Amino acid sequence: MMNPDDILNVTELNVAYGESEVLFDVSVKVRRNQVVACVGRNGAGKSTLLKSIAGFLKPTSGTIVSNGESLVGRPAFAIAGMGIKYIPQDKKVFSDLTVRENLELGSYASQDYDWVPVFDYFPKLKILIDRKAGYLSGGERQMLMIGRAILGRPKLLLVDEPTEGLAPSIVMNLRDVFKELAKQAALVIVEQNLPLVCAIADKVYAIKEGHIMAEFTERASIKPEMCEQYL
Amino acid sequence: MNILRWWWGLLLAFALMAVGRVFVPLPFANEVLIFSIYTMGCNYLLGRVGFISFGQPAYLAVGAYAAAFYLFYFGNNPYVGLLFGTVAGIVFSLIIGPLFVRLRGDYFALVNLALAVIIFYLMQKVLADVTHGDNGLWFLTSLTSTPILDLTRPDQFFIFAFLVAFALWAFYKYLDDSIFGALCLATKINEDKVKFLGYSSFSIRLFAFVIANTTTALAGAMYAVYLGFVSPAITGPERAADPVVVTILGGVGTLYGPLVGSIVYTGMKDVFSKIIGNWELVIGFLLVFIMLAGEKGIWGSLAPLLEKLFTRGGKAADRGSRQ
Amino acid sequence: MNMQLLISGIIFGLSLGGIFFLMSIGLSLCFGLMRIISLDQLLYYSLGAYLTYTVGLLIGDVWLGVIGGVVVAAIVSLLVERVVFRRIYERDLPFTMITSFGVLIGGVGAIKYFWGLIPRPVPVPIAAQVDIIGTDIPVYRLVIIGVAVLVYLGIWLFLNRTIIGKAIRAGTEDCEHVEGLGINVYRLFTITFIIAGGLSGLAGGLYAPLIMVDPQMGLEVLAFIFMVVIIGGLGSIKGTLISSLLVGQVVSLGSLIYAPLAQMAPFAVMLLILLVKPTGLFGSALQKR
Repeated sequence: MMNPDDILNVTELNVAYGESEVLFDVSVKVRRNQVVACVGRNGAGKSTLLKSIAGFLKPTSGTIVSNGESLVGRPAFAIAGMGIKYIPQDKKVFSDLTVRENLELGSYASQDYDWVPVFDYFPKLKILIDRKAGYLSGGERQMLMIGRAILGRPKLLLVDEPTEGLAPSIVMNLRDVFKELAKQAALVIVEQNLPLVCAIADKVYAIKEGHIMAEFTERASIKPEMCEQYL
Repeated sequence: MNILRWWWGLLLAFALMAVGRVFVPLPFANEVLIFSIYTMGCNYLLGRVGFISFGQPAYLAVGAYAAAFYLFYFGNNPYVGLLFGTVAGIVFSLIIGPLFVRLRGDYFALVNLALAVIIFYLMQKVLADVTHGDNGLWFLTSLTSTPILDLTRPDQFFIFAFLVAFALWAFYKYLDDSIFGALCLATKINEDKVKFLGYSSFSIRLFAFVIANTTTALAGAMYAVYLGFVSPAITGPERAADPVVVTILGGVGTLYGPLVGSIVYTGMKDVFSKIIGNWELVIGFLLVFIMLAGEKGIWGSLAPLLEKLFTRGGKAADRGSRQ
Repeated sequence: MNMQLLISGIIFGLSLGGIFFLMSIGLSLCFGLMRIISLDQLLYYSLGAYLTYTVGLLIGDVWLGVIGGVVVAAIVSLLVERVVFRRIYERDLPFTMITSFGVLIGGVGAIKYFWGLIPRPVPVPIAAQVDIIGTDIPVYRLVIIGVAVLVYLGIWLFLNRTIIGKAIRAGTEDCEHVEGLGINVYRLFTITFIIAGGLSGLAGGLYAPLIMVDPQMGLEVLAFIFMVVIIGGLGSIKGTLISSLLVGQVVSLGSLIYAPLAQMAPFAVMLLILLVKPTGLFGSALQKR
């Protein structure tokens, strides 16, 4: 039941690394301005899912469709060009370049040179603008990664474990940022931080060993204990 | 482990070669044998350790010149010459190894090639007083006949080379099947895990390095004894491609790849260089073609097919072949 | 050693270093961004020299020959990138190295086919000499040094002041992240490859008047280029510059002291440096992208 308005429609996706299968018949649906969370233990296949959507991995079978267009087989930069941006989990920015230059690359890629929204979300970036990105702290890097990605007004953000290793105050900051972002773009967030997820998600998928174990669509039913069960 | 099972592949391969000897000219057969021993070192380094070495001519030269020095300056016994060459190979690898083996794969490749060029230069210019530079060292006529197998006679040399090759192949097969073989492969795939298991990846690599390059040095010594002379030409940069090409042609990391590759390569060279003067053009495009087509090489592609045939649809009972 | 010898030795070494630098940037850049060892750069070097010879012969102007060399080298490298490398970027290092070696060998064969085996001389475009502190220095050598300096500045400006250059620098750190932003990294690869090929062609064209142009010239200079790249550290432009200068001086001044060893001295230097820093002076422990 595919609606062309669906920002993302993943159907029966199977992904393998070489000989070992990692994802089995995974199906995910994301609507406009929805915040969808994928939770699961390490190695469950959450990152693999995001990477496959973003075009960094080729699925062995299944479909990935966004607004009626198929994503499978397209190079990753083309998918990013369609407004689907992937923010990896490794908290890596281009260390030798300054914050400004990092943002410049994002602008060049998306042809969006309006940095006002970026500084609205992350005023700290304005202060750090001329610092070499290698000297940023983990939280600041995460901010830069997100700030870079929202250039070009993406319709979908794929965020991989954004709060991992970050201080609680920054986590709260990010929580508010995601809430705001959701007004303009759909989000798929992979997280192990269940309280955060439950605070902002409209829908939660619980993934275990490459399978979707459960899907929670009622905001009321999204509670950490419920998710725990399926992991 | 069934003894016959383990040996049958080797016996078959070498029986085929013995039969083949009837159909091919003696020089060709000898050339193929020595060349495949030469290639075996490169094959092992690339296939089992993961090191690409464009510098095998260096170790070939070490073995060849060591044998040559002995046979030119000191004695006439070919066997002793061979011994000298082999020992020189061991010593040289042990000295060079600890430094080279620590390097990353790409640096290793570059450094090895630089080594080959340096050795070439050494033999050609710097040590010209003792090596006679481009003129080379000639000792064919001074070689004495040896008991049992007279190495000065090509047909008996062939028998000797055949036996040496057989022994070597048995040795490498044994190595492959042993713990060491598994460790080598494991180190190539994931060095950290091997370290976590408590093994020293450095020692593993060093040991493999010494074995492979001593094999190469042995081939060099065999060349020296067979040809009766040695010149810098065997270690020239143009020759650096030969072992690599043959390794790829035959199939990297396979046991019989060097044999198959040698036969095909030497054969092609004989045929083609009469037709097309420009051998490099052919090798170059051949190499690129093989790599783009899947890099498995001749034996590398044949072996799985043969395995399916002989083990009746894939009963994986035969540990013997590594693909 | 008298002053004149020393000065001409230094200048000689600088010009040699300049040629090494032009050749090594290509290797370094290609490695930094694409994680391949582009041995075929030596082919573009030879092509640059041969085109300089041919065009110079036909038109009578060696400088036009050099330009022709650069253009042809760049075109051929583009073709090779499109036909060969584009298909194999994800493969591991030995694989790409062997393939590039195949291209090099095949290319040398093609050169032999078109131009034959006989070494070709190329006239020096500027025969004049200039007096520096009492020593006669060929102006041409100074020109080479000048070109190398200009190229270094050009590359520096490109990498630090243009957006494509910054994208390339970012790519040497993490190609996936660059692609994730929406930048077509494959186009970056092509651009880098063309620059590398052109610079190698320039090195060959500039060096041609000083040596005999023969099919093996790429293979002869190969060891030195490797040593430069290893000492400097793969992927570092600054490192390449420093090590080219170093190796140039070692070869040049070394040959004044004891000729045969001069060729081997860089090798010894390289081994020493590798003992202390297995990734070269400025090389980092880069992982495959």
